[in-house]
Amino acid sequence: MKDIMNRHLNLLFTAAGNLIRNRGRSLVVVLCLIAVLFPFISAIAISEGIKFQSLISVEEGADIYVTLDHYGSNAPISLQHLERFQKMEGVVKVFPRVIGRTYFADRLATIVGIPAEEISRSIRLVQGKMFREKGEVMIGKALAKVVHLQTGVGFTLSPNPSKVFRVSGMFDSDMTIWSSNLILMTFEDASEFFQMRGMATDILIYTRPGHAQRLAREIMGASSYRDSSEPPLRVQDKSLVKRYFQRGFNYKAGVFTALFTVAFALAIPALLVISGFGQAERKKEIGVLKATGWQTQEVMEMVALENLIIGFTSAPLAILSAMVWMKWLNGAFIAQFFIAEIGLMASFPVPSRFLPLPSFFAFLFAIVLTMIGGLYPTWKTATVPPAEAMR
Amino acid sequence: MRDPIIRTEKVDKFYYSGRPEEVRALSQINLEISKNQFALIRGPSGSGKTTLLNLISTVDRPTRGRILLLEQDLSKYSDAELSRIRQKRIGLIFQNFNLLSRLPAWENVSFPLLPLGVTEGERRRRSLEILVRLGLEKRVNHFPEQMSGGEQQRVAIARALINDPEIIMADEPTSNIDAESIGTLLDTFRDLKRKGKTIIVSSHDPIFLDYCDGTFFLKDGNLVESI
Repeated sequence: MKDIMNRHLNLLFTAAGNLIRNRGRSLVVVLCLIAVLFPFISAIAISEGIKFQSLISVEEGADIYVTLDHYGSNAPISLQHLERFQKMEGVVKVFPRVIGRTYFADRLATIVGIPAEEISRSIRLVQGKMFREKGEVMIGKALAKVVHLQTGVGFTLSPNPSKVFRVSGMFDSDMTIWSSNLILMTFEDASEFFQMRGMATDILIYTRPGHAQRLAREIMGASSYRDSSEPPLRVQDKSLVKRYFQRGFNYKAGVFTALFTVAFALAIPALLVISGFGQAERKKEIGVLKATGWQTQEVMEMVALENLIIGFTSAPLAILSAMVWMKWLNGAFIAQFFIAEIGLMASFPVPSRFLPLPSFFAFLFAIVLTMIGGLYPTWKTATVPPAEAMR
Repeated sequence: MRDPIIRTEKVDKFYYSGRPEEVRALSQINLEISKNQFALIRGPSGSGKTTLLNLISTVDRPTRGRILLLEQDLSKYSDAELSRIRQKRIGLIFQNFNLLSRLPAWENVSFPLLPLGVTEGERRRRSLEILVRLGLEKRVNHFPEQMSGGEQQRVAIARALINDPEIIMADEPTSNIDAESIGTLLDTFRDLKRKGKTIIVSSHDPIFLDYCDGTFFLKDGNLVESI
């Protein structure tokens, strides 16, 4: 038993020794693995970060969102519905909202028209004051920095240049993406800007706990008996919105993973070539080991241990690189895949979350890659007569 | 004839078998080597000496025929069993030494002990003992490229002896060393024979004729003379 234990330990130390002795090759393989793995880890971390922030904002948001259903898409809804919703049993409050997007100095900005008192708790005023008067807006800190806006400065926006806005204050948010592209203003200003007076892009309904699903059903039910000249209502409760978000991010992460898998598949032959550096010498070495009494399984175990060490070194380094990339380079080149219009370098802290499962996959990928690159050529060499391997 | 330790029966070895470029390296080889014999396989270059040594040392397999080690047919042994035979019964000294360039002398000597679970301290002790016996006490931590041909060969001999095998096989052992080293080599072989080991040497060098007690002469892959 002690001999068996010693045998495995001997093979482990020999494997480690081999990697140190061939440090150039080991370093190249580790660097290649890091290069392959860290974009994947970074991307998944960004995706998870955005998903997390988005879900918090959904959680903080209304219980029911009502719009018109125009051939399956959201369409503006008349403010006439407000009174009816307010009177429904279980409703706490109802208010309209206008959300739209426009280009602001070549950047896509999101305009939200909402009563000032209904702004999310996640938004913190960092400069100036809340918008109150007509034409006043509050702008995200990161967006303000990019478009060089200061408190008190006036500006216009392209689709409706006749309307002049003035920055009343700047905000920051735990939802870092918000500060990058959000312009907050009164509901009236937003509906005027988008020329949709008397309409809202959606009506937000807050309910008493446990009433949301019933109310959503009642609103939907009532909608089916209405005048057929108006499109039906589209009612989405919090759980549905959450599902949309999750599905959207999972889809993006899925697309990225698919692209990554292609890159991963391309990396395998590359790694085979890299791990094949010095293969002639390795072949001879394996022949000598076999000729002096090593069994094929012992040679394989030693090479597998070498690959395990490489994998267990590369994966944490790849995770560390991804963390550094996120912290110091703010997810450059990768974040733009998940967040539209941010360019190579985001102007706000790109959200990221490093979860255990992607890290586990990083380990798995690293080990699978090195094993494929190392074990097959070794097995091929170790199973021929040693004289042939040494030739 | 004393107890045979190795016996070959109608052994053929062809390379690229069945192809136009087929090479018949050995043909119908029948020989017998007994325990504690010093056997010399002679012949000109390309006569098949190395091929025959590779076959009887189990590092290669014959195309046809049987090789018996202590009357056990080696063709029936698995790859793992042949490895164990090489580990415990056979010590091999290659013509070009086949030392691992990245290992110092003592590790080159001791790596056959790794799969046996021998601890590092014990491996070092045993390899040092043999290296000192072979006059290499100052070369223990030297790498192959830092040693002369004769010294490298002594390291290769030490590796062959580390497991105290019954049979020691050497392929052209005098081809890459100087006259002084040849003297040391012959002394070592004489000493090993005195200890009851079987020694099989393939060489075209007549120097071994005075030491061997069995000669096999190969020509063009055929065994033409056994004495």
